[in-house]
Amino acid sequence: MKTAMKLALSALALCALPVQSPAQELRMTVWTGNDAHLKMLNGIAAGFIAKHPGVTVKFETVPVADYTQKLTFQVAGGNAPDIAWMMEDAAPAFENAGLLMDIGPTLKATEGYSFEDFSEPAMALWQKDGKIYGVPFSTSPFLIYYNKDMFDKAGLEDPNQLAAKGEWNMQKFQDVAKKVTEANPGKWGFEFKDGEGYASRMTHALLPPVRAYGGDLWANGQCGLDKPEAVAAIKQLHDMVFKDKSIVPPGEQGDYFSGNSAMTVNQISRASKMPEAGFKWGIAPLPSGPAGEAPVIGQAALTVFASGKNTELAAQLVAEMTSKDNVAVMAQFFPPARKSVLESDAFVNSNKLIPPEQMKSVAAAIVNGRVHPSHEHVPQIFAAMAPRVDALWRADADVEEALKGVCAAIQPLL
Amino acid sequence: MAGSPSRDNAAHSARAPWLTLKTREMLEAWLFVSPTFIGFLIFFLGPLVAIFYYSTTEWNLLSQQATFVGLRNFENALLENPDFWHVVRNSVIFALGLVPLNMALALSLALALSRPFFGVVFFRTVFFAPVVTSAIAWAIVWKFMLQGQGGAVNQMLAWIGIDGPNWLREPNWAMAAVIVTRVIKMVGLNMILYIAALQSIPRDYEEAATLEGASRWQVFRMITWPLLAPTTLVIMVLTTIGSFKVFDHIYQMTGGGPENGTLVLAFYIYQQGFKFFNVGYAAALALIMFAIVMVLTLAQVMLRRRDME
Repeated sequence: MKTAMKLALSALALCALPVQSPAQELRMTVWTGNDAHLKMLNGIAAGFIAKHPGVTVKFETVPVADYTQKLTFQVAGGNAPDIAWMMEDAAPAFENAGLLMDIGPTLKATEGYSFEDFSEPAMALWQKDGKIYGVPFSTSPFLIYYNKDMFDKAGLEDPNQLAAKGEWNMQKFQDVAKKVTEANPGKWGFEFKDGEGYASRMTHALLPPVRAYGGDLWANGQCGLDKPEAVAAIKQLHDMVFKDKSIVPPGEQGDYFSGNSAMTVNQISRASKMPEAGFKWGIAPLPSGPAGEAPVIGQAALTVFASGKNTELAAQLVAEMTSKDNVAVMAQFFPPARKSVLESDAFVNSNKLIPPEQMKSVAAAIVNGRVHPSHEHVPQIFAAMAPRVDALWRADADVEEALKGVCAAIQPLL
Repeated sequence: MAGSPSRDNAAHSARAPWLTLKTREMLEAWLFVSPTFIGFLIFFLGPLVAIFYYSTTEWNLLSQQATFVGLRNFENALLENPDFWHVVRNSVIFALGLVPLNMALALSLALALSRPFFGVVFFRTVFFAPVVTSAIAWAIVWKFMLQGQGGAVNQMLAWIGIDGPNWLREPNWAMAAVIVTRVIKMVGLNMILYIAALQSIPRDYEEAATLEGASRWQVFRMITWPLLAPTTLVIMVLTTIGSFKVFDHIYQMTGGGPENGTLVLAFYIYQQGFKFFNVGYAAALALIMFAIVMVLTLAQVMLRRRDME
């Protein structure tokens, strides 16, 4: 009898199951695998799920080195995510292929969203013909990270102290890099971004000084690297690598984060790596040049794939993630593009690792900064550049000739 | 299976009387190989056929549009794109450097280590160990050792008063460095093949020749070397094919640089297909590589056959 009861109950339970609404899963690809980042993202998603019962949100980590490549293959395999964290350099190709949904109507229909709050320059890359293809999620300026211990050992003022006195310029940068190298044998004054300045980050290595001298990599379909400003800037870098020997040269490992270089360029999200570094550190603005201050910004946005099953729901999640409240929450790792948040005290106090005065220079850099130039054919442009940039980084290279070679190689693609 | 064959057959006939014994056995055989065979069809033969179609299209992975362009991709590679011939040249240099060096070293090691002596197993293990080491780990370690300043290789050279180059950042040195590190990695495999072949040569030949007054060189030249010919051919073919297929090593050590100095065919195909998403062009390149390897293999087999006649 008992068995029969059990059977009847199980049958009842089975019948009851389909009554629940079917779960909708939203999948979002992100490059970060950092626990603190994911915890924060899941916290924001939990708020969205509470308002939309039956919805689940899954964050899928794809390593940063081949993020765009893997995303492309997901699209090609008919398995695009609902939402993707899109890197600035990949945006034009995805946009032009018609893969991204115009999320403008959803954003504007969201109560209390106030789209105008996003800074105009930050939105430039993500709007076209009145349509909105993405919302900047991280508008992160390039900063100088420095190893305070190494500066102290050399008896030098650190970049922040120099910046406060208005002396933090390209000339001073070269000087202190040389002196700090001499005072710390076997180490270097400066390492290019992520130690990849001669490979995958070659443009990130060149861009800050070129901008400080008033040039650019390319603009309006014209290569800028053979222009006098760019040549002067890159000559200075070349001297630092091969004459002063103060920048980690090609083929060497001089990791800043393990204390082998006194300075590097990176973004604020890397601050999460610093507590384990084991030395005193700080962040400072990029050195200014003949053209004044020229902050450089790296950007990523949230985009919705038009091929998804739940595009409207996905767009609503993007709106939720980029609401005023949530942008303020994320600001500790991913600097905001919302003016109201940037100007708030909450932002300058948001990162436990970075003192408020230093966060102020972050905020200033976001307002004034310009993103890395983008282009639909960025992968091809980089490939055409790479062998010519290799030729630039030889001790006996004629910098001007080498840069003419770079421009000759990429001009047809621009 | 349990039960005797006759009982088994009887049972089968009773269950399926319309099948002859032969057909049934055939069916069973297919059934047993089907898991592997289906995998082979889907993951190997299918793509192999599909690549012929892909090579005639211009296919944008992002917009999912494939346009038929006939032989355009082949024309582009063979006639128009200067990169292609540069890459082929690099692949040929890589093969010309690697194959003779690898084979000469493998044979020398095999000659030294084919006879038993105290510690022979240790030495064989030492030379074979790199073969089973992860290719990526191998490349990463060498990348550190070959740093311009502070690399282990240059430090050792400094002891004997040589100022070593920045190995992986100068095009010609980079090519030499990837060849030599690849040879050290793979030579153990060919060494084992040669040792096996040497051990299968009957001792009598050598003894007879020695009694007749042949020198050690003559014994090697007239007896050992000709008897090794079939093994030499196999090794040569396999090593050549392997050298054209080299990818992981280049990917990790130089990424095809500096100045495209180590950009070899397999890596170029990867770049075109998986970095720039020129899928059609990459497919055409893969077919060209297939043809090159095929021709080389046939040529080697024919040369050898003529040699032996």
